[in-house]
Amino acid sequence: MNPIIKIENLTKKFNVLTAVDNLSLDIKKGEILGLLGPNGAGKTTLINMICGLLDASSGDIVFQSSKKRKETRALIGVCPQENIYWPKLTCKEQLMFMGEMYGMSSKRAKERSLKLLDFLGLSEKSNVQAIKISGGMKRRLSICLALVHDPEILILDEPEAGLDPQSRILVRNFIKSLTRDKTIILTTHNMDEADRMSDRVAIINKGKLLMTNTSENLKRTIGEGDLLEITVDKDLSESKVKLLESLSKICDNVIIPDFSIIIKSKNIVEKISEIAETIKQNGFVIKKMTLRENTLEDVFIHLTGMKLGAN
Amino acid sequence: MKIFSIIKKSLKENVRHIWLLILTISLTPFFVGFYWAVSEAEKPNYKILLVNQDDGIIFHQEKFNYGNLIIEGIKSIDKDSLQLPMTIKTEKDKSFAVEKLKDKNADALVVFPSDFSKRFQNLLTSNGEESINIEFVGDRTSIRYMVTAIWAGDIFSEFIYAATNKKNPVEISETSLGISGKMNNFNLYVPGLLILSIIMLLLPATISLVDEVQNKTIIRLKLSKISAFEFLTGISVVQLIIGVISIALALLVAVVLGFEYAGSLFNVFVVAVLSSISIIAISLILAAFTKTATEVLIVGNFPFILLMFFTGVALPIQPKELFSIGGYPITLQGLMSPTHSVNAMNKIMIMDMGFVDILPEITALLVLSVIYFAVGVWLFWCRHMRS
Repeated sequence: MNPIIKIENLTKKFNVLTAVDNLSLDIKKGEILGLLGPNGAGKTTLINMICGLLDASSGDIVFQSSKKRKETRALIGVCPQENIYWPKLTCKEQLMFMGEMYGMSSKRAKERSLKLLDFLGLSEKSNVQAIKISGGMKRRLSICLALVHDPEILILDEPEAGLDPQSRILVRNFIKSLTRDKTIILTTHNMDEADRMSDRVAIINKGKLLMTNTSENLKRTIGEGDLLEITVDKDLSESKVKLLESLSKICDNVIIPDFSIIIKSKNIVEKISEIAETIKQNGFVIKKMTLRENTLEDVFIHLTGMKLGAN
Repeated sequence: MKIFSIIKKSLKENVRHIWLLILTISLTPFFVGFYWAVSEAEKPNYKILLVNQDDGIIFHQEKFNYGNLIIEGIKSIDKDSLQLPMTIKTEKDKSFAVEKLKDKNADALVVFPSDFSKRFQNLLTSNGEESINIEFVGDRTSIRYMVTAIWAGDIFSEFIYAATNKKNPVEISETSLGISGKMNNFNLYVPGLLILSIIMLLLPATISLVDEVQNKTIIRLKLSKISAFEFLTGISVVQLIIGVISIALALLVAVVLGFEYAGSLFNVFVVAVLSSISIIAISLILAAFTKTATEVLIVGNFPFILLMFFTGVALPIQPKELFSIGGYPITLQGLMSPTHSVNAMNKIMIMDMGFVDILPEITALLVLSVIYFAVGVWLFWCRHMRS
């Protein structure tokens, strides 16, 4: 299947700074692509080039519909990181206005506006000026504004920023519901958000694309792996060498302090029963077992050498 | 010590807003230089038109036209010895001369009556109390007319006195242009105030544009299919309505308070609409150079003061003519639309002139509006809407 957006050798330079460096990426129709990267990685520059706010220094962005660049703007809806709205217009008024800006009839814009306000729990505020609604509501209004013209591609920059837990669930479910007929590009600092929502994750650092894959594949293949901590009933100091020898046949990275065994390995879940059996055979009873799976954050730190949010 | 810290911090902030600082400290020196450049302060010149309607007389079988003799006499005076910054030009037709006067191509018109020679001869030959009547025509609201009329009266009186040796030989009658003779101070200022109400549009119109930049909603508009022209025209139409309402209200209040005006309200409306369009177009240019309402209020002082004080709206200013097109003087102030607006308003409301008479001003307003608007749209697009 042809990608809905094909990014080829895209570069953007601002004087001496190369914000996006020879980046190539295919975005598939109907997927949610999570863009992960530290501050200044080039995510916003990439998004601005995709939606036509910035021109590339070199390279190309090809849309499946292969329309002219100006026409492709209507295909894209953008919810920027910052809430952008007309403070003195009511929620409904600004949605209708933006619909009309994209060439919708007043009737169609009104229908679409009311529908979106309903989906995102803003119906009661439809006739309230945007300046008077809460921060979380403004965020939801910003998402509505990105969607009012029913774009094929939706770009969401930190969609959950500033949302309370209930609103977060509402927005998350809403975004998930869009994937039937929309392609979504999601940038976020929230690893959990990216992990839960994205079909694929693209990790960007210093303008370069480091890796693109599903979250599951990334966690399974990159980083030190899952961490299993087992607490047993007796002091391990006397049997440490023998137990270490037995467990090392199953996993590489085994550490044994006095009362616990710590094992780091990829796909450790598949090996848990074998590990438990080995410990039992060595005469110990497992009192407690804690598993911390490899996270997207671990993958990210492994690839970029830094935590997300760190400059 | 805290006060020094505040001074240091404030100094740093001011220096780091370098353009605003430069603008603030250079504003007044600029206006001093600009006033010198555009006004006739350096070398004033008052223009008198002279129409001789004298029929002449036959004396000792010889025809005399004392009017012509006086004119030749005055013209023969060396300008430097006269030591007055005046130019006297003769015209044959009084109504043509009046039109020139209305178009501000002269400051005063002096008319020698048909019995000028007869009365002059009487002065020479009789011991009676005869005097010569000379008509002065001008805009009695104009300071330049006042100055010109006083000097011209003195010159003619002195000249005729020298020729006749009779005291107080000249009797001057004044004819006011339009309704200028009936104008009080209030009536005098209202046309300028009407244009001022339009100039007041400059800052709010600019802020309504810059709001989109400051709120970043311009990004949403850029992402949609809207063009800079569509966006700016849409905003401008609303500002135009506000401008027209503002001038209508100002006129209504003035009339209720006793303002008397001549001319047609339709012509006033046409000038108001064109003036508003031109001011809104200037606001597009200002909006291109600013990003926040605060910047508009600081940077906006520059065009605001220029439009208010250097166009004749708030204070009369005699522009320095660069050249003329079809008799219409082209001046540096002419690059600013309110100059033409206030001229047109004065012509309509004081001089009682019709649509044809204000065509030069209408044309100038149209041309300037189109130029400002095109430049404004282009600059706004370059600065705020281009990828």
